[in-house]
Amino acid sequence: MKSRKSWLDKFRSKGETEQAKLNRIKAEILAEDAEPHANKTSRRSFLTRLGVGATLAALAGQAFAYLRSLKPNVLYEEPQKFKVGAPDQFGEGGKFLEDKRLFVFKERNTFYAISASCTHLGCTVKMQKLNQPKKVRTRKREFEEQYEFHCPCHGSKYYGDGTNYAGPAPRPLDYFKLEVSPDDGQLIVDMSQVVDQNFRLTV
Amino acid sequence: MQAKQSIREKANWAWGKAIWTWLPASDREAGDSIVRNFLLHWFPAKVSRESLSWNYSFWLGTISAILFLILTVTGTFLMFLYVPSVERAYLSVKDLEYTVSFGWFLRGLHRISAHLMVAVVFLHMVRVFLTAAYKNGAAVNQNRPVNWIVGVVLLLVTLFLSFTGYLLPWDQLAYWAITVGTNIASAAPVAGEWMRFILLGGNTIEQNTLIRFYVLHCFFLPLIVLALFSYHMWRVRKDGGLACVDKEALAQKKEKVAPIKSKTYSLLGITSGVTVHVETSLVDEDKHTVQSSPNLTRRLLLVTLATLAVASILTFIFHAPLEEPANPAITPNPAKAPWYFLWLQELVTITTFSIGGFTINGALIGGIIVPGILVAAAILWPYFDKSPARSTGVWFAKERRRQNMIFLLVVLFILVLTIVGTFLRGPYWNFYWPWESWPEMPRKF
Repeated sequence: MKSRKSWLDKFRSKGETEQAKLNRIKAEILAEDAEPHANKTSRRSFLTRLGVGATLAALAGQAFAYLRSLKPNVLYEEPQKFKVGAPDQFGEGGKFLEDKRLFVFKERNTFYAISASCTHLGCTVKMQKLNQPKKVRTRKREFEEQYEFHCPCHGSKYYGDGTNYAGPAPRPLDYFKLEVSPDDGQLIVDMSQVVDQNFRLTV
Repeated sequence: MQAKQSIREKANWAWGKAIWTWLPASDREAGDSIVRNFLLHWFPAKVSRESLSWNYSFWLGTISAILFLILTVTGTFLMFLYVPSVERAYLSVKDLEYTVSFGWFLRGLHRISAHLMVAVVFLHMVRVFLTAAYKNGAAVNQNRPVNWIVGVVLLLVTLFLSFTGYLLPWDQLAYWAITVGTNIASAAPVAGEWMRFILLGGNTIEQNTLIRFYVLHCFFLPLIVLALFSYHMWRVRKDGGLACVDKEALAQKKEKVAPIKSKTYSLLGITSGVTVHVETSLVDEDKHTVQSSPNLTRRLLLVTLATLAVASILTFIFHAPLEEPANPAITPNPAKAPWYFLWLQELVTITTFSIGGFTINGALIGGIIVPGILVAAAILWPYFDKSPARSTGVWFAKERRRQNMIFLLVVLFILVLTIVGTFLRGPYWNFYWPWESWPEMPRKF
């Protein structure tokens, strides 16, 4: 096993005696003659490595810059949080906000918002008024409903509280966080914050 | 310990397997690598030292191809980020400059590479002319003049590629450069107006123009370049490599060395002359050639690295300009075409004059007749060059002194007009020295 001599080794060898130094140099020369360039990285292989390394580094740098450009820093999308009007503009029951695909419900002095986006594949569900009130029992509660949500695409059906009971829908419709705007008292819906079915905003 | 070593051995084995074609250990491996590696298959197994030398070809054709590659890659990414609509084009370029990470670099590198490509392709043409590399050597079945014509067409397509890209930022610079550029084209007799109408998709530069230029720029023209480039490279192989190889073959014939053994199975007496394959295999291989892998590939890698480095560094130095959004109501004064067409714009201006009541239309002379004659002359030149075959692949051959002088005069003429148009023309296309300041001009008319 041959060890590599670095400049540091040579620096360290200063302390040795003259005879020891001569012997060492002799041995080095003999080793070099027996197998030339075995101990050193040749200039050629160093430059080759430098070249290949520089190429890979350059390509990696360029690739990083190109790919990073595809991750948007600024989005021109509709905000997820928006005002939907003053509480007194809402009548008792549900109101469908078409462009936001959202239902806002008023029950006396409480408000809640349900997504109209079907949890199956994102079609817009329709609110179906029932001819007569229907008694419903879900895992969480028992209540009497006046309407249901039916999806026109693949036939998923939801009770009035958004709980799925038929069709391929995997989970209930989302409830979104509602709050009152401190500046003008309008309702604010935050579609980025999904909340529990029991969420009610009291105004 | 044992397991560790075997993993290491396996890794070494896999690494060796992956790179042996690039770093062959023997002549046999070097020959094999050309056949076995898809990326190397279009190279010959052996290549002459002269054609590898830096100062015969200056590798200008290679650099053009590398620039085209850089342009293709950066262009593809730019296509993800650019919207070719009049309402959004400018805003998307502005976003590229200010909000997209490295967007300014992508755009800058694309622009610099495009400018460099125009310049390098032109210089490549100058090199080929001055070395008479469009001439056939002694072998039959060579057809270098055709490859020269393909090259001239590639230069024209390169110019058109750059020109169509110029409009896309949809700022004042883009809008008015294309206005001036397309107006020069409309001076062509009979078909000029019609050509401009079809190119613009109407009478003014509008949405139709933008989408036409976009599709031409991103799809149609690159496809043409790719097809022509493939043929260009194939022809180089068919014609026996760079023209300097012919010179070596001829020189060897003069030396009257003992004939070199070559494998030829020709129908003697039926074919006339010596084919390229035989002619090039007659060159003393040991003396004049080296293995393509790694000798050619190493230089190719170096040139690639250098081109990328230079283009990237220039991107940092020269920032891509973005002026105000395009506004047809405000004409900048002066309104200039892209720099590589400024010699034409200059020509158009200086060839417009009146003799008595008769006015000579500069756009016709400078925009159509002169460039038309130049392109036609370039295409036909190889067929009128009657210098002997020994001048093929020789820089400034004695026998071609007059031809080279004429060619260089034309090049000088184009360069001078380009420089005057770029640096010495101010408002109303008046002449100004660089140290003279331009007069204040009203911003609106």
